[in-house]
This record gives sequence, structure tokens and C-alpha cells, in this order.
Amino acid sequence: MNINPKDRINTIQAAVIVSNFILGSGILTLSRATAEKAGTPDVWISVLIGGLIAIAAGVVMATLNKSYPEQTVYQYNRIIVGRWFGGFIGLLFVCYFCMTAAYQVRTLTEVTGLFLLEGTPPWASVMVFMWVSLYLMVGGINPIARLFELILPVTIIIYLLVTLMGLRILDPNNLRPVLGQGIMPVLAGLKATVFSFTGLEVILILTAFMKHPNKSVKAVVYGIVMPMGIYLITAVMAIGVLSVDGVVTRTWPTLDLVRSFELTGLIFERFESLLLVIWIMQIYSTFTIAIYAASLGLSQLFNVKIQKCMYALLPIVFIIWAIPKNINELSAFGDFIGNISLYLFGIVPIVLLLLSKWKKGSTEETDEAES
Amino acid sequence: MKLNLNLARCLLIGMCILTLMLQTGCRSKDEIEDLSIYVGMGLDEAKKTELETKLDKLGTHEIKKNLITFTLQIVEKQSEAKGGKAGSDQNSKPYINVSETGDSLFQLIREFTSQMERPVIGHHLKVIVINEQLAGHFSMHQLLDFFLRDNDIRPSTMVLMSSGPARKTLEAKGNSIIPSFRLMGMIDNRYRTLKIIPPMTLSTLQGKMHAKSSYLLQNVIAAEGEVKFSGAAVIKGNTQKFRGLLSEEELLGVTWLTGKGKGGLVKSYDEKTKQIITYEVKTMKSKIRSHIDGDDVSFDVDIESEGRLIEDWTTSSAPIDDEFIERAERAAEKEITRLIQLGLYKIQKNYKTDVVGFGTRLNIEHPKQWQKIKQDWDNVFSEAPITYKVKLNITDMGAKKSH
Repeated sequence: MNINPKDRINTIQAAVIVSNFILGSGILTLSRATAEKAGTPDVWISVLIGGLIAIAAGVVMATLNKSYPEQTVYQYNRIIVGRWFGGFIGLLFVCYFCMTAAYQVRTLTEVTGLFLLEGTPPWASVMVFMWVSLYLMVGGINPIARLFELILPVTIIIYLLVTLMGLRILDPNNLRPVLGQGIMPVLAGLKATVFSFTGLEVILILTAFMKHPNKSVKAVVYGIVMPMGIYLITAVMAIGVLSVDGVVTRTWPTLDLVRSFELTGLIFERFESLLLVIWIMQIYSTFTIAIYAASLGLSQLFNVKIQKCMYALLPIVFIIWAIPKNINELSAFGDFIGNISLYLFGIVPIVLLLLSKWKKGSTEETDEAES
Repeated sequence: MKLNLNLARCLLIGMCILTLMLQTGCRSKDEIEDLSIYVGMGLDEAKKTELETKLDKLGTHEIKKNLITFTLQIVEKQSEAKGGKAGSDQNSKPYINVSETGDSLFQLIREFTSQMERPVIGHHLKVIVINEQLAGHFSMHQLLDFFLRDNDIRPSTMVLMSSGPARKTLEAKGNSIIPSFRLMGMIDNRYRTLKIIPPMTLSTLQGKMHAKSSYLLQNVIAAEGEVKFSGAAVIKGNTQKFRGLLSEEELLGVTWLTGKGKGGLVKSYDEKTKQIITYEVKTMKSKIRSHIDGDDVSFDVDIESEGRLIEDWTTSSAPIDDEFIERAERAAEKEITRLIQLGLYKIQKNYKTDVVGFGTRLNIEHPKQWQKIKQDWDNVFSEAPITYKVKLNITDMGAKKSH
């Protein structure tokens, strides 16, 4: 692939994109999803272990990329497993990214419809949202990276400010006992937390744009550690304030955490709108990068201009967006995507990595034999 | 080619104008002047108000069971400005209370829409007062479900109980008070008295409700437009229904057991002179330890407090010596022990509800054992031996050095 030099991003930008892609709808639901499975206050341990697993997966992906600098997964998997099968895997990736984008936006409309824009027809807010996102991604990876660099610090600062204000009503007893029922509940909660780290797979595509592709491991690790910290704080605060039994009853526990207190005397008494604003920015960034990744895949698979793919994908994503009939179907959809990502990005990169090593090994052997 | 460019330009301009249409602001806005903001809510047993009976006679109504009388306290539009200007229209109250009788709470709230020009909104609900008899018939799950589900009402809303009609606690005598705000203000007075328990918000409640644990809710009584926090209502874990009332003294005992008081006093009598000595609580700590022996569970509680000798009626000109301080400490400890005895007997033997948090401690210290007995916890708790030790420490005597 011949990438324009101005389309290069540096290591920090790559890390920021990974973080922004990971942080999405998960922030609001992570503590419930995990607490439902775990049933004990050890949710934060699950988050920690889930993060470590994500880092391991990220390192595998980044190492895979290193062997094929300047190339995205769509291109090099065709080298590794052959033109047709590689193309098929590439198409699966494209489908996955489209579904992720649709899922994130659907979650967004559910939340805004409930708390912010009751009465606004969902399609109205979604369309505007998608168009603004299209505007950004048509510009290419560099504008995306620069915008994300602005969004992430704002997100982190406001998020910490807002959630840590709940410390006042945090009851440490809600977080105890630690490992009261052994390690099993923690492992049960793992699945939910690993789901929430999906998004790191974007490194498979990002490395091709990096100025220093050999630093992709660093980028992905930094990119995962950031959301891991945010998830940890979320889990501790939500469980500490609402208790495990409270968290499992709430649809959007993190929002309820922020709605559980009022600070009188400050300019603002209530902070959920601030939280929602940064959350919407995060969904925006997740959506943008997902569509960008999907379009890039299409354009590289079929040799068409990437902008055309973007325009073509928007209506498709909109249709997927409209499919879930209610919130239960939506969360089933979310689980479905999570499961797919587990196979697609848990197993496929490892297989690809092994195959590429084996291939390289065999070519080297033949080289030696020839010489 | 030229034509194409022009066409593109026209399209672009058209799209720009189209986007302008999206910039007009809020799509489904409600001006605040067109809304009625309710700040307080009272839930009572069904008892129709006069107005309701009259309206019922004149009109027809839907089929509904008369289970609950529901009172909304709505802040009058101008009340904020009125508070600022003293002497302006003194004859109208800054709030109105409206009542409706029926069953589904949401149906009742929406019923007001056909009675008022401005629809009611719940974003600023501060306090819910529930009548105790009503909470005896219906579980908290049923009574609070709507509030926990609604997207306007915040989980920071406080829940109080009333042994009298909840409607009365939302009334005030003068024209300057909004009763719901008064209740909220009173909750903030915890640093001055031990009789006010930590506020119970919807967000804390839902955890307790789902965990089926027992808890206390502040009891508020009202007469002639004045209100008072007096004792606490006990909600039983399994049923989530009102179990009984703790008197003020019993509540003090329970507060000492939990160690969650912020400040207050202990009045006791000097053994020698039979005069009043009052101890002001500065800090309060309680440490509950659980012990298991086979299937038997027992607890001991260490209560420690530091404070000040703030009032002393003994008449003697001698300066206060160590011996007297010792005596004062013993007297206050004895009083606290008496309170704890009262409170513990009531919750453990009469009501069989663990509102102190012994179960939580057991869960933290012996999680395996807790898993086994948590289903039947209130019964196990009622049999568990509990010992307690009180240790007071008078650190100073205020600005006066002698008796």
C-alpha cells in the first residue's frame, strides 16, 4: 500500500486511537455486566485480569504486524493464508467493524433517548451523528488522530472529576470481602470485562500508518492501560457507591452513580450531563474509527477509493442500527459482537502469527539450502 | 465540465442551507415556565381528599383500586423570587400540595395533567415520605419501583417514613417555607445530634432492597405544620415491609452500635450528687467483630468515643480533677450501655431485624459462613449472642475549668 507521508501518525497518536476505540458503550454498563456474572464485589479484580489478557492479545497483534510493516491486516493476511481465504477473513473483519459501529450508535440512542433527548426521534440524532463522523473520516487517519488527541484528555479529566466526586458517598464495606468466595467469581466476571476491551484490534490496521511501526507494541500497551485505569475506577466507584446488589438492578450503573449525588453550592449541582457529553464523544470516536477501519478494508479488498466505501457503508450501518427491537435484543446483539470479536481477534491473530513465523522459517530454510 | 462544477456548487449550497435547519436548537424543548416542578412526594393509605370526592361525584373515572393516596408538592413558579423579597405577597404559600388516590403511581402522576395547566416533572424531586401503615401493606419494591425506573427522578432522592399521614409532613405553617426543602435541611443537621440517621437515598435503598437486607429509615412526625425527626422505621429484609418503629432512645442505642454518628450528646447523672452531666460527642467509632464456632455466630462490639464535658450541674467550687472526669465518663458510659441495651433488644428480640450491619461484618470476616446462612440471616441474628463494650474519653472541659 502506498500511503501518503502526511497520513502518518506517531506512536502516541496510535495509542490514543486504540484508547478511544476501546472506550465506548462499555463505560456505562461494564460494572453491571461484570457484577451479574461475578456476583461478588471482586469486579475490579476481573477488570484488572481482563485488561492483562487484552494487553497479551494486543502484543500478539502488534508482533504480527511487525513482520509486515506498511501493510494492514487486510493485505498481509492474504499473503499468509492465501488470496481467497485471506479475503474472506478480511470481509469478516469488515462486517465486525460495521456491527460494532452500529451497536455503539444504537447504545448511544438508547441512552440519549432516556436521559437527554426524550422525544427526539432516534433517527434524527443518529443521522446528524453519522454525518459529522463521515465529515471527519473523509479527511483520513491524520485528522482522526489529531481530533482524538483532543478528545481523550478531556474525557479523562472530566470523567475522573465526575466519578471521583462520588467518593463522598462511597461505602468501603460495599467493596468487601475481597475474594470472599475464592477466585471463581472473578473468572466468571472475566468474560464481561474482556468484552469491554474489544477495540484493541484496531492496531492491526493502525500499524500500517505509524511512523515507527516497530513501536506498535508500545502503542497498543499504552492504549489499553488508559481504558483499563478508567474501567478500574468505574468498577470501584460503582460497586462502592451502589453495592453489588444495587449495580445489578440498574440498566446504566455508571450514570446512576453520577446521579446518586448532588453537590450544592457549586456552579453545577448535577454532573450526569457532563458525563454524557464525554461519553457521546467517546462513542463518536469509536464509531468513526470503526467505519474507517471497515471502509479501509473494503477499499483494500476491492481496490476502490476509501471515500466511496465510507459513503456506501453509512446506510448499511444505519440499517444494522435499526435491527434490534428492544434493549434486550440490543444487549444480546452486544454479546454476539463480543463473542465474534473473541474468535476473530483472540484466535485469528495467533494463528496468523504462527503461520507467518512458520512460513518465514521455511523460506529461510530453503534460502539456506539454496545457498 | 463547467456545468458540473456549478451543479456541485448548487448542491453544496443547498446542503449548507439544509444543515441550518438542524441548527435550530432543541427539538422537544419544554420551557421551565410551562412546567410544574415537584420537589416532594408523600405516599399514604387511600383516603380521598374533599376535592377528590367532589370531582369524583361530578366526573367519571377509570377503574382503579383505591390503594394509595399520593401527594405531590409542587413549587410555585414565583417562589424563588418571593423568598428574596421580604414583605411581598405574604398571603400565598410558595408551594401547593395536590393529592390523588388510586393504585399505579405513574397513572396518578399523569392524572395531574388533566387537572393542571402545566405538566409535572420530577427532575428536582428531593424527598419521598412514606406512611408507615402503607409500607406495612406494600413492600418497598412495589412502592418505589416507579421512582427507581423513572428517568427524570434521580437516585439521589431521599426516602423518609412517617408514622402519621405523610401528607402532613409536607405542610408548613408560614408562607416562607417549602416543606420538602425543610426536611432536606434537617437531614443535614446530623453533625449536631445523634437522633438523625445517615440519609437513605434511592441509590442506597435499591442495593439493600435487592440484597433483602433490613434497614432503618428516618421517621418524621408532623403536627400543626411543624415537623420533627423522631426515631426510625425498621424495614424487614425478607418482606421489605415496615416492621416497627424505634423510639428515639432505641435509635440512639442503634446509632452507638453502628458508630455512624457525626456529633451529638449524652446526658447522664453524676452518681454522687445526682446532678446532670452532659457529654458532647466529638468522635465516635464502633468496631464489630464476628466469631464463628461451628454454626454458631457471635459478635462483640467495641465502641469508643472522644468528647467534651459541656454541661455540669454539680455545685462545687473545686476545680475538676481526674477523679471527677473518671466519674463523668463512667456515668456517660452507663447511659450509653442502657441505650444500646434498649435498642439491641428491640431490633434483635422484638423485630428480629439486623439493621446495624452485623451481617455485613460477618460477610467481610467469614464470607463462607455468610453464604450458608444469609438466606435465614434475620433469624440467625435474633439468636446470636452480642456483647459490647463502651469506652468514653473526655478530652476537655470547654472554656470553664472548674465545676
